[in-house]
Amino acid sequence: MANVLATRHPEGTVYGDVGDTTVPLRFSSLSQEYRVLRERAAVLDLDGHGLVEITGPGAVDLAQRLLARDVEYLTSDRCMMSLVLDGSGRVVDQVIAFGREDGLLLESSCGAGARLLDHVLAHAEDGVEVVDRSAELTVIGLEGPYAWGVVGRLIDGELASLPFESVVDTDWNGVDMIFARTGYTGEYGYQMIVPREAAAELWAGALEHAEPAGQEALELAMLEVRQPIPRHEVTPGASVIEIGANWLVDITKADFVGRDAVVEAFESGGGRRTVGFTGGDGVPAPGTRVLAGGQDVGEVVHAVHSAGLGATLGLARVDPELAAAGLDLTVDGLGVTTLTSPYIVPKSWSIPII
Amino acid sequence: MALRPVVVTGLGIICAAGRDPAEFWTRLTTARGGLTPIEDEAFAVFTARYAGQVPDAWIDDQLPAEEAAGDRTARLALVAANQAIEQAGRPGRAGAVRAAPAPDRFGVILGKCQATPGPGGSYQPMHHTADVVAERLGLGGPRILVSTACAAGGNAVGLARDKILTGEADAVLAGGVDPLLFGTYAGFAGLQALSTGPCRPYSHSDGLNLGEGAAFLLLEPLDLALARGATPLAEVAGYGLSADAYHATAPDPTGRGGAGAVRRALAEAGLTPDDVHYVSGHGTGTPANDTMEAKVMRLVFGDRASRVPTSSIKSFVGHTLGAAGAVEAVASVLALRHGVVPPTIGFDDDGDGARADLDYVPNRAREMTVDTVVSNNYAFGGNNVSLVLTRPRDPAPYGPAPRREAVISGLGPVTCAGTGIAETAAAITAGRRADGRAPSLEGRTFAPRSLWRHMNRLSRLAIAASRLAWEDADLKLPRKALDDVALVFATGAGSAESTGGFDDSIALNPNKPAVLSFSNVVLNATGGAVCQTLGLRGPTTTLCNGAASASIALDCALEMIDAGKAEVVLVVAADETAARQALASFELLDASGAAGDAGPSGDGGPVPYGERPAPPAGPEAASGTGAGPGAGAGAASGIGPVAGSAAVAFVVESAEHCAGRGGRPYARVAGTRHAAGRGAEPVARSLALPGAAPALVVGAATGLPRDGEEAAAVLARVPDALLTASAALIGDCQAATGAMNIALAALAVRDGLAPALAGLGTPLAGGRDSYVTAPELDGPVESALALTAAHDSVRGAVLLEAV
Repeated sequence: MANVLATRHPEGTVYGDVGDTTVPLRFSSLSQEYRVLRERAAVLDLDGHGLVEITGPGAVDLAQRLLARDVEYLTSDRCMMSLVLDGSGRVVDQVIAFGREDGLLLESSCGAGARLLDHVLAHAEDGVEVVDRSAELTVIGLEGPYAWGVVGRLIDGELASLPFESVVDTDWNGVDMIFARTGYTGEYGYQMIVPREAAAELWAGALEHAEPAGQEALELAMLEVRQPIPRHEVTPGASVIEIGANWLVDITKADFVGRDAVVEAFESGGGRRTVGFTGGDGVPAPGTRVLAGGQDVGEVVHAVHSAGLGATLGLARVDPELAAAGLDLTVDGLGVTTLTSPYIVPKSWSIPII
Repeated sequence: MALRPVVVTGLGIICAAGRDPAEFWTRLTTARGGLTPIEDEAFAVFTARYAGQVPDAWIDDQLPAEEAAGDRTARLALVAANQAIEQAGRPGRAGAVRAAPAPDRFGVILGKCQATPGPGGSYQPMHHTADVVAERLGLGGPRILVSTACAAGGNAVGLARDKILTGEADAVLAGGVDPLLFGTYAGFAGLQALSTGPCRPYSHSDGLNLGEGAAFLLLEPLDLALARGATPLAEVAGYGLSADAYHATAPDPTGRGGAGAVRRALAEAGLTPDDVHYVSGHGTGTPANDTMEAKVMRLVFGDRASRVPTSSIKSFVGHTLGAAGAVEAVASVLALRHGVVPPTIGFDDDGDGARADLDYVPNRAREMTVDTVVSNNYAFGGNNVSLVLTRPRDPAPYGPAPRREAVISGLGPVTCAGTGIAETAAAITAGRRADGRAPSLEGRTFAPRSLWRHMNRLSRLAIAASRLAWEDADLKLPRKALDDVALVFATGAGSAESTGGFDDSIALNPNKPAVLSFSNVVLNATGGAVCQTLGLRGPTTTLCNGAASASIALDCALEMIDAGKAEVVLVVAADETAARQALASFELLDASGAAGDAGPSGDGGPVPYGERPAPPAGPEAASGTGAGPGAGAGAASGIGPVAGSAAVAFVVESAEHCAGRGGRPYARVAGTRHAAGRGAEPVARSLALPGAAPALVVGAATGLPRDGEEAAAVLARVPDALLTASAALIGDCQAATGAMNIALAALAVRDGLAPALAGLGTPLAGGRDSYVTAPELDGPVESALALTAAHDSVRGAVLLEAV
């Protein structure tokens, strides 16, 4: 599907394929967009996130079966992030589930909408209607230490201080909007779900108070606070525990697709663990071996140059006893040091909403 | 047509900034605060030492010598109550004021946050202080203890207005009291909420100081006040309650909860934000509170926010918790009287305060036109209350308060007899008897797991009961409608688990309090948890009149429906036995709290209204309490009360709303009545309800010898009725047993089912044929009466009729 805002993006915008979609990777330069996101407020084009609506009498039961976290009492003013697993406990996607009056709305991660939709449809039973809303709706995000100020100027100051993961049905310039306090990067974060035909106007309105940031800046800032990025971190065969996304799973729930596999992984304690590292020179490619004392102990999962650290920042999947901060390992023949997350302290943590 | 105006005719106060209203006002207007370091060495363990303390001499000098032995809480309350009554004229006495209100039409509604110790050190019942005040002053009218934590004092004033509007009282003494307690101090210290110096609300906002004190306002209808020559000082024009449904201790940062309370209060008063001249802020001095309050100001007043003066007199007296709302209401009345608003002292004009964009009346009192004051309080549990006080108006024609038919449309019992109404009905049919076991919540979580796993037992019980009642009523309301669904929580003592856990932690190390338990020590915490879990943001309050709490809560719910404040009100009652009992065990307790001598035999269980066996001869005989006179081995049938834990919720709904959605109500509420006083005398008064004689009475008996008083009074009034009590089925679960009586009366009206008094031998009054001895009645009854009792304090009666 064509990006709804493509004609509105600045000239020179660099696009890239992410999963089943094409998204703006950067509008100007990564460093500029990153700075805006970390120091002021960035507008995000999240049109690459699919939207799957589940309604009907069996909606909550289906969602409860498909999502790895507890959504039984997810009211229409709350949202939460959860993993969606397959029967063998592998990650299908990482979604934001919005409670709705008559069911739930699932927002996929970037480029994973089609996969999510197929998975939900495959499990749907009588009494449930599953609709792909991606053709009608799009998502625009705001993220940054002063994103709350943008919300105040753009929509309503009362919405800015909503508690984390709160949702309000509101309207903007006469257009219905699902407004949520979310956050991917440790900064104040908001998402606005609006009809696609209203996207251009909202995008333009937001740009009066903030600057756009692309997928690269967003993912860099996510990595810096160890926010999981499924497309980089979900490697074939890796369990939830190896990925380090345990917090997006609730095994106290009686049953959900993939639960048995997760419980087994928890109980066996086997497999590797993911840990952050910095150091070295350049950005090692995924799969690069990680050594400790000359022994191969794992591999690089994903690495970037962190503007916040001014150095390489990566995730390594290593033997469990090495998944701890402050250890010296070797990547590409160069020394790196493991880190505790978050790897940078978001500015939002010291800025109150007024 | 306008409602009958309710006015304040007397004020009383004792707090760190004055021993009476005159001294208090002088100090407020001359900016002389009362926050001082605590001398008591016990408090030396804390870094923060400032508090608003009342010198002992201020109390001693104002009370007769015979009150010297009383506990500090009651003594503070008596000082302030006496002052308010003196100003307005004593009930039933001739004096300077003519025709003071008749004692039985004169009530007391007291706000109190903390459970307070008696002279012996153990906790008194929450309602004890209200009982002391009522008895000393001879007040026989409505008696309510409201415990919405730090909002209780203001809440009490609002409830008093309701009691006058319903016609139940001609005068109500409304106020709040709380002493300075070491444990509470440790709890706030543990939350890092105390300022190390005198607190500086709205500028430094680095924490609060605790304070102690009491304040009362005497409320009367304007017409009666004028008729007897009293001077109206201010009108209580309206009040508003709301629930944040956000967090146990932190206020909703958006301010929408607080703003909701102000908007409701102004709507009730028939005023708009533009009419408000001054806002008496909650102003504790904590960053979370002060930031949230600024948002409330901006939300309510919009562009005018910076031009509406708002100040915090907690900068003078500290945070007096349950008294705070009443203390601030007294100050607000004085501000109206004098045309002066008190300042926020300690305000940092040069530092953080210089950046303030609101008018906090820094450091100096201000003369100005004050016709309308809004007084706000915010509390743990996410309870908010706003009072609207105005200069008294001239008398004008008024109409009667509206009445609307209300029904009970959903039941949610969670007791040892079962979880939900289906299990309960099955237990009744099977003739189950109370065994003191904890209710089972196995197999289902009733809240999001992220909340559920951090909840104490009482909150889990209450939430389960609430959700089951909601489902039983088949209520399917959109999110927006939940913003107006009200919740009234009824409890005798709140969470024994959290209170015990917190006290134990303080005893071990006062600098390491169990802060999670502390946030659940406030009595309204459980109600707040229900609101948070179910997303209810309507009016909410918490009432603590022991086992009579549930019927008083129902009254409150009916008043909300009558006044159009809510269409749907969830009444939830919950209490638990002390934590030292193994809740899953069969341990049976008698009334004194000591282990009883009856074991878990198949035919065990309490037998309300039945004579107890004579204590066995021998050394154990002394432990048997209260065997009825004439109890012989042949007549023996009871084993005494069985203490239990339970939560019982029911949905109260306007008949119109229920019919509109096609609900299937159990019964309509035909009438309620409460009677205060000691001994057996109030029983008969509480039964004096108009309407047809009920065919069934679900009484407040629990297995005590004094059950006979109730039975005799019931049989005298309605000789043809059958009598039973839910304690036979679920034990003595305090407020929850009272609620269960109401729930089972409703069940009998719709479904013709009532618990049998299995094992009843010789009843304490009347013959066996006056009691329910088989669970299936002859069919649904046309009407049933439910009774509640906080012995020697207040008794309640609720008449339910078939729809």
